[in-house]
Amino acid sequence: MFAHGILRSARAGLLASSVATGLLAAALTSPALAQETIKIGAPLALTGGLADEGHKQDVVWKMWVEKINAAGGIQVGDKKLKVELIEYDYQSEGQRASQLAEKLINDDKVQFLFSPFGSGHTKIVAGVGERYQVPTIACVASSESVYDQTLKYLFGTLSPNGGMTTAMVKFFKEKFPETKSIAVLGRDDVFPKSMAEGIAKAAEAGGLTVAYKELYPVGTMDHAAALSSIKAAKPDWIYITGYTQDLILARKQMQDLGVTAPIVTMVTGPSYKEFTDGLGPLANGISSSSWWHHLTSYEGQGVWPTTAAFYEDFKARTKGDPDYVHGSCAAAGEVIVDALARAGSLDKVKVRDAIAATDIQTFYGPIKFGPNGMNLSRELPIIQVQDQAIKVLAPAAIKNADMIAMP
Amino acid sequence: MKSGFPLYAAMVAGLLVLATTPLYADNYVVRTAAIVAMYGALATSWNFIGGFTGYPSFSTAAFFGLGAYVGAICQRHGIPMGLAWAIATVVVAAFAALLGGIILRLRGHYFAIGSIAVVELCRLVVSSWSSLTGGGDGLNLPLMAWPPEELMRFFLFVMLGILLASLIATILVDRSRLGFGLRCIHQNEDAAAMVGINTTAYKIAAYTLSAMFCATAGAAYASWTGYIDPTDSFQIVMTVKVVVMALLGGAGTILGPALGAAAFVLLEELFWANFLDWNRAILGVVIVLLIFFLPGGLLSLGMRRLRAAKVGGGQ
Repeated sequence: MFAHGILRSARAGLLASSVATGLLAAALTSPALAQETIKIGAPLALTGGLADEGHKQDVVWKMWVEKINAAGGIQVGDKKLKVELIEYDYQSEGQRASQLAEKLINDDKVQFLFSPFGSGHTKIVAGVGERYQVPTIACVASSESVYDQTLKYLFGTLSPNGGMTTAMVKFFKEKFPETKSIAVLGRDDVFPKSMAEGIAKAAEAGGLTVAYKELYPVGTMDHAAALSSIKAAKPDWIYITGYTQDLILARKQMQDLGVTAPIVTMVTGPSYKEFTDGLGPLANGISSSSWWHHLTSYEGQGVWPTTAAFYEDFKARTKGDPDYVHGSCAAAGEVIVDALARAGSLDKVKVRDAIAATDIQTFYGPIKFGPNGMNLSRELPIIQVQDQAIKVLAPAAIKNADMIAMP
Repeated sequence: MKSGFPLYAAMVAGLLVLATTPLYADNYVVRTAAIVAMYGALATSWNFIGGFTGYPSFSTAAFFGLGAYVGAICQRHGIPMGLAWAIATVVVAAFAALLGGIILRLRGHYFAIGSIAVVELCRLVVSSWSSLTGGGDGLNLPLMAWPPEELMRFFLFVMLGILLASLIATILVDRSRLGFGLRCIHQNEDAAAMVGINTTAYKIAAYTLSAMFCATAGAAYASWTGYIDPTDSFQIVMTVKVVVMALLGGAGTILGPALGAAAFVLLEELFWANFLDWNRAILGVVIVLLIFFLPGGLLSLGMRRLRAAKVGGGQ
């Protein structure tokens, strides 16, 4: 019996090693290298929890690649090179994201990486890019904590989310001078957490009392306890952060429990079309802030000369309105175009330095990186849902409605 | 011992295949080899409690995640990497021993549910304890400024080392009184207790062994990626994957779980690379088919041939 056990194990071992050899050999046959193209690698969440966001990145990057290749490609020195975008689905799993970044760099020999949605996964992908000195452009990571890792090859097109809080407190106090207290409920995750903490700080600095402040863990399916405490605190302003599903749930439970306040802000809820679609009339009155809105009228270089041009193209392709994820990601490619034009070569260090020195105007707004690699602060739009449509309240230049109290 | 030779030969051959990847393949393949080794170590660890003892434990991800966090916190406090991994291993082993004393009183489905709750509980504690663990922000580890090839080779050997250690522990347990006792518990726990096996102590030993190597692997993985967060560290999917790997290879055997891990990771790679949209579904179907038609795992293929050979030889 004993000997059989051993033999059994031995056979297994041999089988294992032969299977391993065979499959590793299969894995070795990577696709042939197409010379003379600029390759951009993008690990994307096309399935799993972040699939909605992943698809948004996917659609605008494809639009951008088509446009730029139709115009002949990217100028590098005296040559024009076509762009090839290589995407893989990382299934919203961090471990797979880093694995795919590795694959893109080693197997597909990409020269640039577009990082996936969210601050956490951006950290993971940027860590891999850093090791290989591959510049990584993050278009949906706005937490400053991502950029404090001294990653020299990471650049982000969103501006710091700190800019979203102070301006909002000031604006709301102007519109609703009787606002005295705020209740903050935030998702314990990189971006929503930093927004929750940021608003509490900004509110205190602005003379408001923070009547309630708690974080809820990722995956919370019930906000009733937190909302009841908020109800008891009777705040003038309720501020909830999270991703679309969390916020839809919170708003519905607020309705059930009769929790309300003159001002209800959800970040980033109304920035996404799914939020207003999911809530219908319940979304009315909810305010938010965003990094970009298609009503802005920026002009600049790149395949889309104006915000309106991008909006038209996007509308024609998807029949929907673009949000800040679309805008920021579509502009990410322009950073590469501009840097390559100035660097005049594909040399890693030269390209990296050229990106760091970026100072351009695009349809998405100005892009100029600070010392930490993050786009500089600017005036960000404050928005509100009115009659189930998104209205811009501020800044004054693009305002198209006045603020209303929660119905 | 003559009869031990084929086992060792197979083991060494398998490890050599993985260890030699840096000689002829690029970093991506080396990385896959390192992941095979890592999951191999996790599945081999699970085998102590799930395979030998027959307790369907789903707490692998809890041990892996806790190991990652203990290692990361140590490293952030200036403890050298190797020592941080050792501390993670000891702390998580102690945690498993204490926890085992409680949840090993449950049996069958109840134990399975209890052990899966451990993963979720650990995740919630880690994500709520922001002052220590950074909460949802996760933790950054010092990024190792080595050239990527060297770094990858280093972590391949680290993971192989952990796999080798877990395999050696398996062989030792298999040939000792402990292994015999665990198999008795597997067959009939009450009977085992009656013939004088201290079932509680044995089960706790198995559970602790199943945690140790996971913790080392978790801590090493954290140093490798340079960033961990609660959602990715405590994944229910990982816990289930590891059990499937062990069953795929052959639970309760020595090399089975590691073989299952290799097969699973490589199948996953293969389907993923060739069927981008349907890879999850295909992988699921393959697993269901394998478990239906090969309930004893891939190793039972070898067994059948062995039996056939024996019958032939006898005539």
